[in-house]
Amino acid sequence: MKWLTLAFLISFLGLFIYVSADLPDRGDPHAPGNTHLAAEFIELTGEEIEIPNIVSAILADFRAHDTLGETIVIFTAGLAVLLVLQVGYKRND
Amino acid sequence: MTERHDSIILHFVVRVFMVPFIVMFGAYVFIHGELSPGGGFQAGAIVASAFVLARLTLGTNHSSPRIQAHYLIWLASFGVGIYVLAGLIPMFFGANFLDYNSLPTEWFNDIAEHHRTARAMGLFIVEVGVFIAVFSVLVTMYDHLTFQHREEQDD
Repeated sequence: MKWLTLAFLISFLGLFIYVSADLPDRGDPHAPGNTHLAAEFIELTGEEIEIPNIVSAILADFRAHDTLGETIVIFTAGLAVLLVLQVGYKRND
Repeated sequence: MTERHDSIILHFVVRVFMVPFIVMFGAYVFIHGELSPGGGFQAGAIVASAFVLARLTLGTNHSSPRIQAHYLIWLASFGVGIYVLAGLIPMFFGANFLDYNSLPTEWFNDIAEHHRTARAMGLFIVEVGVFIAVFSVLVTMYDHLTFQHREEQDD
């Protein structure tokens, strides 16, 4: 059974190595991931927001709904800890 | 409720060097969020780590006892509220939700005599909300996870 797992993982490793030869170079402007919206973000950050940090501009402006969701997720986590652990917090005294 | 650690060296190093430096570094990461890598999430985690470090070494009762868990969850909802308000205010000026272009920030440019676009201002307001929410949620979680009821402490 151990050898079966090992053979399975090695075959997947070979598959990944084979596929990675076809990946685009890092920072390639003609890669499919960089042609659609990335160029627009880079241009609009300089023109409309006028701050140097493109990451912050994407995080809090272009993708503001996503960041709102993340903040609410963190807030919900804190609220869940409070609700689970603080049952009878005041009344036990 | 973390107990106070006995070592005076630890107290000295944490109180005099570590906590002030970490809080200052968190403020730096937060303020430079628009210029360099950084922002609300990272700065909130860094400042919260300073508070958790103080609570681990100095004990919960001796490290900022006024900042307690049941107040901090109000602070966290305040932070989320800042974010939601920054999204809702443009809707009163006829724009979409979270469209900072319509935020009324002209008066701030007049006071500061330094031009910033409305979208940069909205971005900063949002980062303030994220910072407050992340910081207070992390400290809240630490305080509640280490809280002991009074009966357990007497045993």
